[in-house]
Amino acid sequence: MGFRDWSRGKMSDISDSYRQKSSNFGAMEAAVFGSEDQSLPIDKVRYVVIDSELTGLDAKKDSIVSLGAIRMVGTRILLGETFDRLVSPETKLTGASVVIHGITPDDVAEKPSIEEVLPEFLSFCGDDIMVGYMPIVDLTFLNRETKRLYGVSIKNPIVDVFALDKWRRQRIGEDSSGHPSLYDIAKSLDVPVKGAHNAMADAFITAQVLQRLLPVLIDLGIKSVGELLAVRNPGKGVDKFRFSFKFGNF
Amino acid sequence: MILSDVVEFLEKVPPFQFLKKGTLQMIASKVSMEYYPKGTEILVQSGPPSEYLYIVQKGGVKIFVRSGTDEIIIDYRNEGDTFGFVSLYSGDKSRTNVVAADDTICYLIDKETFLKLHDAYPAFAEYFLRSYLGKYVDTTFRELYDKGFLYRSGNTLPFTTPVGDIATQRLITASPELSIQSAARLMAERKISSLVVVDEERKPLGIVTDRDLREKVVAAGVSVEGPLRDIMTTSLVTIEVGEFCFEALLKMIRYSIHHLLVMDKDTLKGIVTNHDLMMLQGLSPITIAREIESRQNIECLIPISSEISSMVGLLLKEGTKASNISRIITELNERLLQRIIEIDLSEHGPPPVPFCWIVFGSEGRKEQTFKTDQDNALIYADPETPEMEKEAAEYFHEFAMRVNNALVKCGFPKCPANYMASNPKWSQPLRVWKRNFTEWITSSTPESILLSTIFFDFRPVYGDLDLGEILRRHLNQKLEQERFFLARMAATVVDNRPPLGFFRAFVVEKSGEHKDQLNLKISALALIVDIVRLFSLERGVSETSTLERIKALRGQHGLTDEFGLELEQSFEFIMLLRVLRQFEQIELGSEPDNFINPNELNTLEKQTLKEIFQLISRIQDLINQRYRLGTVS
Repeated sequence: MGFRDWSRGKMSDISDSYRQKSSNFGAMEAAVFGSEDQSLPIDKVRYVVIDSELTGLDAKKDSIVSLGAIRMVGTRILLGETFDRLVSPETKLTGASVVIHGITPDDVAEKPSIEEVLPEFLSFCGDDIMVGYMPIVDLTFLNRETKRLYGVSIKNPIVDVFALDKWRRQRIGEDSSGHPSLYDIAKSLDVPVKGAHNAMADAFITAQVLQRLLPVLIDLGIKSVGELLAVRNPGKGVDKFRFSFKFGNF
Repeated sequence: MILSDVVEFLEKVPPFQFLKKGTLQMIASKVSMEYYPKGTEILVQSGPPSEYLYIVQKGGVKIFVRSGTDEIIIDYRNEGDTFGFVSLYSGDKSRTNVVAADDTICYLIDKETFLKLHDAYPAFAEYFLRSYLGKYVDTTFRELYDKGFLYRSGNTLPFTTPVGDIATQRLITASPELSIQSAARLMAERKISSLVVVDEERKPLGIVTDRDLREKVVAAGVSVEGPLRDIMTTSLVTIEVGEFCFEALLKMIRYSIHHLLVMDKDTLKGIVTNHDLMMLQGLSPITIAREIESRQNIECLIPISSEISSMVGLLLKEGTKASNISRIITELNERLLQRIIEIDLSEHGPPPVPFCWIVFGSEGRKEQTFKTDQDNALIYADPETPEMEKEAAEYFHEFAMRVNNALVKCGFPKCPANYMASNPKWSQPLRVWKRNFTEWITSSTPESILLSTIFFDFRPVYGDLDLGEILRRHLNQKLEQERFFLARMAATVVDNRPPLGFFRAFVVEKSGEHKDQLNLKISALALIVDIVRLFSLERGVSETSTLERIKALRGQHGLTDEFGLELEQSFEFIMLLRVLRQFEQIELGSEPDNFINPNELNTLEKQTLKEIFQLISRIQDLINQRYRLGTVS
């Protein structure tokens, strides 16, 4: 656990500002994932669990240094279907981020640029539901690139394991305050946290977190993709959940 | 990173461990990982077939069948175990329920990948067939299996025996018009579980089994006056006489039946049941054991003892694990010894006081391969008076002389160091044995440590076994009081380093008859035996065999918990190297010894042996540290 998780904890405070900037997410997801898909059971659909490493957190100055992703079908993690690439950053690797990721400028100097990696990444993700720990952060950086290169944002539906876990804890009456890091959540669900701290490893941990959460969510009444996507805003999750029932398609 | 974890895991799981790294990497890339919260039904009896081979990565599952309201537990599978093979392979509905007994993570290998492996690596396929053969779902099978006959390793015979060889030839048939009751009576009289229904020309029309009587008559309330025709099963599953028994077993699994008609083209030759297949598993060792029981004098036992070593070749050829071979040999040698003693007692009259024949050394540890020197002794109950004591000493001396000589005739050479019951020193009343043991423990001289390593592996095999038990308890008690002894023993264990020099080169004999060779018994096997003996004495474990000791120590001994599995595998590996080498020597007509030339091993064997030596070194270092710190944990 390092700076990044600490910073993400902090960032949940500021993530609202990110969210406002990309407030068109909801509408776009609905457009891609039609009402028919929304009714699919959450233990049968395809997910792509993603994570990225960044040079820093300033959406204006910083950029992506690595991308990791792994595929799931329902609760099954397909260990051979992974995406793991280092990216040559557009911005300088700062001393601070080197310390966190252990990725030095030399490591990425020879690596492909985001222009080369992004199409591969997007084609790997396909139309699958994207899952991440506070993916809003990753998406902000990814969308900056897709907008720059293709003029559009990523349209996949997004699921946040942080929000899912918070919602779960609220529903079962556990303390849901605070901002547990990915590793905190992983440990609380008995997911082993070991090895290097990189995008691929964290995506795999996130996938195992989702794997543990899905059966619990089903028990708690979340059966369809639509219901899963409705668990979004950690603060107002419950209200929004009820709201979405009222209006069917949120 | 993710895939290398999978490869690392598979490397420890049989039969994957036998595959090359490249193959494991290919498998890993196809593997998916699934999580089952406790209580999840993974496979359901009579439900769809398994689509995967499941390997338990963490947690465990319970396998059971439902019969009416009863739940019969077949097995538990834990980390590193597999399940789902039978219905994956047969494509038939699942025959069992599999439920997560705990929060469980499994690696799943899809059918296509599995079948590819199955076709490409016959040994891989055979492993599954064999291991599931052993777990074949049937209660009668389970019962016999659980009785712990040593013959489990006979598992391999189904792969080499044609069905025709074991089929029941004297077939009991009936006409379709025979009444159900008469048929049931006939089955009861003949003690058979099935009846083949045939027409006038003896062409099979159907079969009636115990199950039909239960399900179609009793449960359904059908009149027993009715004809067999009404209840017989007409879809007959047959097998050709020449097919191997495991094919028969697979058919039984595939069709959920217990009987197969054995055909020679169109003619009915006999019937084979799952019971027959089961008996086959123990065929040869059982036959030998029975022969031993039936012999009335020592001379008649001599030819049998040579059968025992020829059986080893058969077992080896069929890929039986070395430890199982030793267990079979040990068991048969033990029966031979028991029979010799029985015959002697019947000829020379009963002993004046109860006695117990004990064996030690490799025999005590059930680790014999081919004929080994005798290592035995005798404990007798404390006689009440000096006169009685003198009489007992004389009786047992003569008795032991006769038994030792009979063993020599049966091919067990005398012990060069005279550790034999005929040596008056090792034929003593219980109190003397207790005194000896106490003295060895308290004096801790090099001689007493040596005697301890020999005698503390003792195992009572004939007579009043309680005498042995009492001595074992006495030993454990003394060890508790004299922890210093264990430190001395640890020092000798640590002293004997594995023959691996700098740069990981084997240290071999420099000159003499065995130049460039390495003694597997002294330089490898004994080191593991010594380590495990030390651990067992630390904990007062009464098992004597190295593998059983490791099992018994699990959960109560830190170092064993950490290295137990590796020690077990290392032990198996060296035993196998040794037994293969010895068998080779016997086939060439020379005397078996314990030497191998490491340069004649293949790369994998060399590598494995080196790793084993490093493991031993590491454990020795840990023992060293622990005892130097003065703590016995």
